[in-house]
Amino acid sequence: MTGNPYLLTPLAIARAVRELGDVFTWTFDVPGGFAFQPGQFNMLYVHGVGEVPISISGDPAHPELLVHTIRAVGQVTRVMDRLAQGDVLGVRGPYGSAWPVDEIKGRDVLVIAGGLGLAPLRPAILRLLAQRADYGRVTVLYGARSPEDLLFRDELARWRGRFDVRLEAIVDRAGRDWFGPVGVVTRLIDGVPVGHDDAVLICGPEIMMRFVARELERRGVAPDRIWISMERSMKCGVGLCGHCQLAGSFVCKDGPVYRFDRIAPYLQVREL
Amino acid sequence: MDELEPSFKTHPFLVDLEPAHAQLVADCATRVQFRTGDLLIREGEREHTLYLILRGTITVEVTRPGGAPVCVETIGAGDVLGVAQLTPATAHLDCRARETVAALAVDNAALQRTMDADPRFGYAIATRMLARTYHRLARVRLQQLDIYR
Repeated sequence: MTGNPYLLTPLAIARAVRELGDVFTWTFDVPGGFAFQPGQFNMLYVHGVGEVPISISGDPAHPELLVHTIRAVGQVTRVMDRLAQGDVLGVRGPYGSAWPVDEIKGRDVLVIAGGLGLAPLRPAILRLLAQRADYGRVTVLYGARSPEDLLFRDELARWRGRFDVRLEAIVDRAGRDWFGPVGVVTRLIDGVPVGHDDAVLICGPEIMMRFVARELERRGVAPDRIWISMERSMKCGVGLCGHCQLAGSFVCKDGPVYRFDRIAPYLQVREL
Repeated sequence: MDELEPSFKTHPFLVDLEPAHAQLVADCATRVQFRTGDLLIREGEREHTLYLILRGTITVEVTRPGGAPVCVETIGAGDVLGVAQLTPATAHLDCRARETVAALAVDNAALQRTMDADPRFGYAIATRMLARTYHRLARVRLQQLDIYR
């Protein structure tokens, strides 16, 4: 945003929305625009507390609105959870690799999200839908813990109401007021057409992504047609500090989005 | 068998079965239908039937004292219910029709007698059941990890 990757830009929270019990979405107004590619992240700094990497969950067609969806799980994000409209944070970015939304034009696209993994995929989904004619069949599969834990519920309903995208959601457990399927997200793959040339974008817990990729390979999807978004302890955001090193790559610079065939061998190395 | 033939040709559990073996399963099977809310299997009761689901959705539920039932899995067309019940056992969960369900109900005792009498047939059925049990176990393990938390 500033040209200097280390320099923070102070931004005030313009809107704060409670998504789930421990998940919230912030919108920052950036009149000059904040250009980013779907899948990239920013480093958000809470003054005197610390800095954390957070994926951008906004619409790339609206760079004047910088959007982040955050789960309060660590020291910094728990403090963030107590901030409100008008509070100022330091922002630097965007960093990292992006979902290959241009490269996969013309192909059928399968998007598979688990839990909060829908947030980093949201910009890619919005891009696919905004340029719908450029892609073949678009399918979104989403797994969550329970119906109450589904993220972006209103938006999911809107996507489901469209005739040019298929959305399926599954939860781990539910009461009788849930009429969708119950089970793991891999089950949804059985119910949708999958071609060997489909492009597949996956984001969610690493265990889920491994299982999903394995299931896709069983269905004939080549590993070089699959992209996943990795998460590691990112500190500097520019590939210098080494905190997020994964074998010969730095997740903050070479990732977080990787083509699966390039990262798959490292996912099997337990020490990594 | 004539009445059951189309279902036997298309149900994933039976699709690769030798015709003679499919006939043996058909001899133990009847077509059944359940209405919304009907229990196919009730927790604590002996399971006598293996269901090959043709249409509709079934919820696998756990009941809690003083609380609403929790659905831990849904089963649908192409799935098998009662897969582990070739040996006499009691059900540990409720299985309830969430909508109208059509299924092939296979008499477990009759099926087991046929498997005992014809080991090749027994092996074909047992390997199918084992494969399904393994896949379901893998899913349950993943679910148990509570990965979205």
